[in-house]
Amino acid sequence: MTQSTVTVPALLPGGEAVAVRAVGLGRRFGSQWALRGVDLELARGEVFGLLGPNGAGKTTTVRLLSALIAPSEGRASIDGFDVVADADAVRARIGVLTETPGLYERLTAVQNLEFFGRLHGLSPAVRQERMERLLRLFDLWDRRDGLVGTFSKGMKQKLAIARALLHEPSVLFLDEPTAALDPEAAFVVREAIAALKGQGRTIVLCTHNLDEAERLCDRIGFLRGTLLRLDSPARLRGLGGRAVLEVELAAAPPADLVERLRGRPEVQGVEVAGLTLEVSVADVPRATPGLVRALVEGGAAIVGVRARTASLEDVYFEVMGARPPTDGGPP
Amino acid sequence: MRLIRGAMVGAVVRREAREIIRNRLLVFSIILPPVLLTASPILLIALGSHAAAALPADQMAQLIARHPSWSGLDSRQVVMAFAISQFLATFLILPAYIPLAIASYSIVGEKQTRSLEAVLSTPLRTSELLAGKAIAALVPGVLASWLAYATLLLLTAVLVAPELLPVITDGSWLAGVLVLGPAIGLISVEAGIIVSSRVNDPRVAQQIGGIVILPIVALIVLQGAGGFLVDGPTYLAGATVLLLIAVGGLRLAVALFGRETILTRWR
Repeated sequence: MTQSTVTVPALLPGGEAVAVRAVGLGRRFGSQWALRGVDLELARGEVFGLLGPNGAGKTTTVRLLSALIAPSEGRASIDGFDVVADADAVRARIGVLTETPGLYERLTAVQNLEFFGRLHGLSPAVRQERMERLLRLFDLWDRRDGLVGTFSKGMKQKLAIARALLHEPSVLFLDEPTAALDPEAAFVVREAIAALKGQGRTIVLCTHNLDEAERLCDRIGFLRGTLLRLDSPARLRGLGGRAVLEVELAAAPPADLVERLRGRPEVQGVEVAGLTLEVSVADVPRATPGLVRALVEGGAAIVGVRARTASLEDVYFEVMGARPPTDGGPP
Repeated sequence: MRLIRGAMVGAVVRREAREIIRNRLLVFSIILPPVLLTASPILLIALGSHAAAALPADQMAQLIARHPSWSGLDSRQVVMAFAISQFLATFLILPAYIPLAIASYSIVGEKQTRSLEAVLSTPLRTSELLAGKAIAALVPGVLASWLAYATLLLLTAVLVAPELLPVITDGSWLAGVLVLGPAIGLISVEAGIIVSSRVNDPRVAQQIGGIVILPIVALIVLQGAGGFLVDGPTYLAGATVLLLIAVGGLRLAVALFGRETILTRWR
C-alpha cells in the first residue's frame, strides 16, 4: 500500500496531529455543485460538529471524507491516507453511522456485527470480545440473538453505532446518532462519544441538534454548499454579534449617559427598555468592568448586571441568513 | 495486490446464505421448481412407458438415424426417449431462474434497507461484494439443477426405466446440465444485477430479468414442434457463446454496481 503525499502542512497551528484534512474539497453532480471549496483540518481526538440545513452538503462531505465518492476537485486525507489513492486504507480507519441504520433485518444482532467484523479482518476472539462489550454497552446483549427486523428504531440505531465502533476506527463519522433514541439511550450515546474522544478518536458529528452539538463538539462548522463558519461553540456564540449586557437600574438613567455609552469603542449598540439598558458588545468579559464603572460614574443606580450571549441557534440563523417566521401559524 | 480476497468474498457469501435461508418465499421458490422438474419426467416415464403409441416406421428410422444410441430400444422406448429428452431444456431453466430470483432479492433488498452504504464504507471492494453476491446467487441454482438431475438418474436407473438411462446420460444431457446450465446461470445473475440496479421491487426485477429464460422456453417449443433434439456439441457451443456474452455483461454489471452509482443514484 502506498501512502500518498499530501502537500499541505502536517500539523494544525497548535501542533496537533491531523486526523482529517480537506483542501479545496468539492463535488459536482452533473452540472450542479453539491459542495465546493471546503478546507478543513481536524486534530486527533477532536469532536467536530457539521451543522447545516437539509441539502447543505453534510452527507456529501462525509461520503467524500470516507472514500465513498471521489471529489470533483480538491483532495482529502484520513490519517495521512488520500481518500482517492488509498481508499482501502482510509476505509480501514473509519467508522460510519449512516443516516439510516441500514442493518440486515433477517440477521440477528450478533450476525450483523460478525459480518462487519469479518470485513474489517478482526479475528474470531477479538470479534467476540468487542461484540459482547458493545452489545452490553448499548443494552442489547439480551437481544443479541434476536432478528434485527424485530428491533425498535432506537435499538437499530444503537446496533448501527455498535457496528461503526466494532473495529475501533480512528475517525468516526456519525450522522444524527441520537435522532431516533429515547433520552436514556441518547445519553448512553453521548457518553460513548465523550469516551471515544477520550481515547483519542476523531469524531465528525452531523446533527440538527444544536444543543447536542454545543455539548459534545470542540469545534462546529456551519455548512451550506461550503463551510460558511468554523470555530468553537463558545467563540461562535461570541462572534455571533448578539452578546448583550443587561443592566437593571433603580431609576431612569441620566439623559446623556446613554449617548456617552453609545460613543464607547467596545459598545455596538444601546437599547433602553424601561429601567433596563441592553448594551450590545463584542466581548462581554472584557467590556463589563469598564461599562459598569462608566455607568456608576455617570450617575446610574445599578441594581444588577447580567450577560446574555447569543445562543448557537441565533448564530445558526445568522450564518444561514434567515430565521423562519414564528407568527401567523397555528399555536 | 490481489483483486479479490477470498475471506472478504466468503464473508459476503456467508451473510447472503443466512439471509436466503431466512427468506421463506425465496426458499420456497428455490425448492419447488427442482421438485416439479424432477417429478415431471419421472411421472412421464412411469406412466407413459406402457401407454406410448408406436411410431410409423419411417419416423422411427429418422429418429434412430439422428440418435444412433437409441437403436437398441424398441418402438415405444424410442417414443419415451424422445419425450424424456425434451426435459433437458427444462433442466436449463433451473440455473436461470433460481439465481435470478436470489440476485433480485439480494440487491433490491439492500436498496430497500439502505444497507449498502455501511458495507461500502468498509475495506470490502466492489468486485468482492459483487463476486460474493454472484456466488451466493449462482451456487444454489446450479446445485439445485445438478441435484435434480442426479435424482432423475437415480430414480430412472433404480425404479422406473433402466433402459432409458443411456438416453439421459448422453453427451447432450451432460453438456447441457454440467456446462450450459452454469453458463446460463451466470448470465442470469448478471441480468439480475443489471435489472435490479434500475428497479426497486424484486418481483419487477425477476419479471424483467426473466427475459433470460425466454430463449430456453423457445428451445423447448421448437424441439417439440420440429421433432428435433439439440446435440451435445451444440450445447457446448452455446455455452461458449454465453460465457463470451457474460464477459461483456460483467463489465456492464460492474459499471452499474459502482460505489458512486449505488450511493448517489440508487433510489
